[in-house]
Amino acid sequence: MTDPVDATPDDATLVRIRGLTTVLGGKTIFDALDMDIPRGKITSIMGPSGTGKTTLLKHITGQMHGDAGSVHVDGREVAALSRQGLYKLREGIGYLFQNSALLTDFDVFENVAFPLRQHTTLPEVLIRNLVLMKLQAVGLRGAARLMPNELSGGMMRRVALARAIVFDPQLILYDEPFVGLDPVALNQVLKLILTLNQTLGITSVVVSHELAAVQQIADQVMLLSNGKVVAQGDPKTIADDGSPWTRQFFGGEADGPIPFRYPAGDYATELGFAGAAK
Amino acid sequence: MSARASQGRNVATNSLAQIGHCGLFLLTLLAAIPRSFRYLRETIRQLWFVGAMSLTIIMVCGLFVGMVLMLQLYHVLSIFGGTSASGMVVALSVYRELGPVVTALLFAGRAGTAITAEIGLMRATDQISAMEMMAVDPIAYVATPRFLAGLIAMPLLSCVFSAMAIFGGHLVGVTWLGIDNGTFWANMTAVVDVRTDIVNGVLLKSLVFGAVVSLIAVFQGFTTPPTSEGVAYATTRTVVASSIAILALDFVLTAFLM
Amino acid sequence: MSQARSSYAIGTGLFIVLGFAALAYLATQTSSLANVHQGDSYTVKAEFTNIGQLKERAPVKIAGVRVGQVQSIALASDHDVADVTLSIDKRYNHIPRDSVATIFTSGLLGDQYVGIEYGQAKQVVAAGGSLARTKSSQPLEEMLGKFFGAGGVVDNVGGSYAVTADFTNVGTLSVGAPVKMAGVVIGRVQSVRVDPVKLNARVVLAIDKRYNQIPDDSSAAVFTSGLIGSQYVAIQPGGSPDALKNGDEMILTQSAMQLEDLIGKFMVNGSPGDKKDAGDGKK
Repeated sequence: MTDPVDATPDDATLVRIRGLTTVLGGKTIFDALDMDIPRGKITSIMGPSGTGKTTLLKHITGQMHGDAGSVHVDGREVAALSRQGLYKLREGIGYLFQNSALLTDFDVFENVAFPLRQHTTLPEVLIRNLVLMKLQAVGLRGAARLMPNELSGGMMRRVALARAIVFDPQLILYDEPFVGLDPVALNQVLKLILTLNQTLGITSVVVSHELAAVQQIADQVMLLSNGKVVAQGDPKTIADDGSPWTRQFFGGEADGPIPFRYPAGDYATELGFAGAAK
Repeated sequence: MSARASQGRNVATNSLAQIGHCGLFLLTLLAAIPRSFRYLRETIRQLWFVGAMSLTIIMVCGLFVGMVLMLQLYHVLSIFGGTSASGMVVALSVYRELGPVVTALLFAGRAGTAITAEIGLMRATDQISAMEMMAVDPIAYVATPRFLAGLIAMPLLSCVFSAMAIFGGHLVGVTWLGIDNGTFWANMTAVVDVRTDIVNGVLLKSLVFGAVVSLIAVFQGFTTPPTSEGVAYATTRTVVASSIAILALDFVLTAFLM
Repeated sequence: MSQARSSYAIGTGLFIVLGFAALAYLATQTSSLANVHQGDSYTVKAEFTNIGQLKERAPVKIAGVRVGQVQSIALASDHDVADVTLSIDKRYNHIPRDSVATIFTSGLLGDQYVGIEYGQAKQVVAAGGSLARTKSSQPLEEMLGKFFGAGGVVDNVGGSYAVTADFTNVGTLSVGAPVKMAGVVIGRVQSVRVDPVKLNARVVLAIDKRYNQIPDDSSAAVFTSGLIGSQYVAIQPGGSPDALKNGDEMILTQSAMQLEDLIGKFMVNGSPGDKKDAGDGKK
């Protein structure tokens, strides 16, 4: 799915974010964020809840646009793409939703076949084989005729993964792939992410806040907080780099630079102690 | 300004904003029609859900409306010795008013709420985002097929409803109350005009109602906050807004067509 | 899934077919189109002195069965009769030549139609022939009279005679109020006017012709049905051997009780017995 007129095909960076600033509802989500996601690697984006990890993924896929700065995916400026260009770009990106987002109208097979049916006119036999191959890869070929409501959370996530890779994308974005999984299912998903990356060379971006899981697969970790990348590096060592951010986040401490309180006005003033505020 | 007055003004401006938003949404829907031609199969599937699946309620309600209408008319007209006109009155009232209006109200309750809830839940479970991510335009794939299906299904349902109402009227009037069969049909056929009653009454009105109900249903589904609470409110709003729109438009259409 | 898909398509197809079938049924069976489309037919002419409300495409019936429709209605060129052309289904080609064509009204509010009653003749009416024996449309007013008898509206054009009565006070008596005898409606108030000379109310009563045996010394009184009901004229028969005739005047009258008088009597003698007395006293 790589665009033949790729501007920088040899660039080692697949996603390049420069000076991205986004303000949503008066709250600054990204504050001049710079980020490079290397091609063919597994990059994990970590950070406390509400720091805009999912929002960042939406910027990469062009579902949202920043107020300033730029997002380049494979050399293309996302915000400048037309609808057709954006859809063309998205065909090359797999996206694993936090809640799987399977189409409840269709069974497992049709869910995985959905992108193929929408974008190709392949003969039915070919679609069938492609879908069964992807389902085999996630170990759910036998569940092809089940409806999404008959699946467990882990199975749904694997079906969603099969759907995300049906077009053999060059980039897969995993949004919280480990949430709500039992240890077995979690390790299955971990193994799948690793296999996909190693066998197909798919660039992977894993949004998560589970360090133990991330450490097993990620090539590099970026810690996002207050709209900036506050730390980045090897997952094995990042927790010990001495920065107060990493110490608090990976140590799970309640006090530290990560704010406990949501931004608010002056406490005394809001309580009505006007005199005390003076 | 008192708080209540400003609240009242807020409600008014909010409603206006909703109507404007809805109008813009209609334009988006219409603009997506060429793109949704490739999803013809989806349109057919929706036609099955909103049309064919509504047949039972439409047929049963049509039958009872016709029956009760005949029963009432028989008793009123028997005061004037005019029971033979009751078939005609049943036909006219069903074709001009009850057929399209009651069908549209039932349609809003049966299909409109289903569309709103379905789209709302699809958004709540990220299915709409997933479609966008799979480079499938949700407007062309989800919204427009449902809108078109409602547009096509309503006139057909309205015809079925009217036919069932006539049948119900015939059942009560002729079979039970003993109105002469020939008189029943002769009076009806003498007065009912294809253009003013069936085309303008049944077809045109229900086409407009179908467009309005499915537009409101799809619009509510797409604009509600994607939470279970938001979906519940949106479903209620679909019924309320559709019912008001149907009855208001019915007045306008009647004033124009008569 | 593909099987499920095709079943959707089949179901949807059935739905669309059913919808259009219903539409076709409405359009062809219950509308005026049903009268236009018919099989082979032949035409028969009939002359009527009065066709009333008969319209083109009105049904033609024999023994209540629809056999055709009115094709055209025209005024005869030479004299004042209506030439009505009936288009009759070919299957019914055994109509005797001396059959009678009558214009009936289907129900009270229904449209009019042509009914054919068979005669005795051996020859049948040929295509393009004519029915010589016809009965014209009956005036609606006569129909009304027949329908309602004494209980309802009394026609005031042909079937009634007028009687006048003078009252010093008619209260709220209005035109159209019923005229009752022994509680049964026998007519209507036709007009209420002030007599410019005598300066009292002159009321014209239209009484059904069937009640032509009312003695000419009968009295007329303005009563109220209930305390706040509408007012009507009650006729109390007298003993004279001569009956009232059209244009006669009723001499003995009793005017309306003023509501204020009634209330006054109530207040003073508030017992039911007194009320009854008051009512009797009115008569």
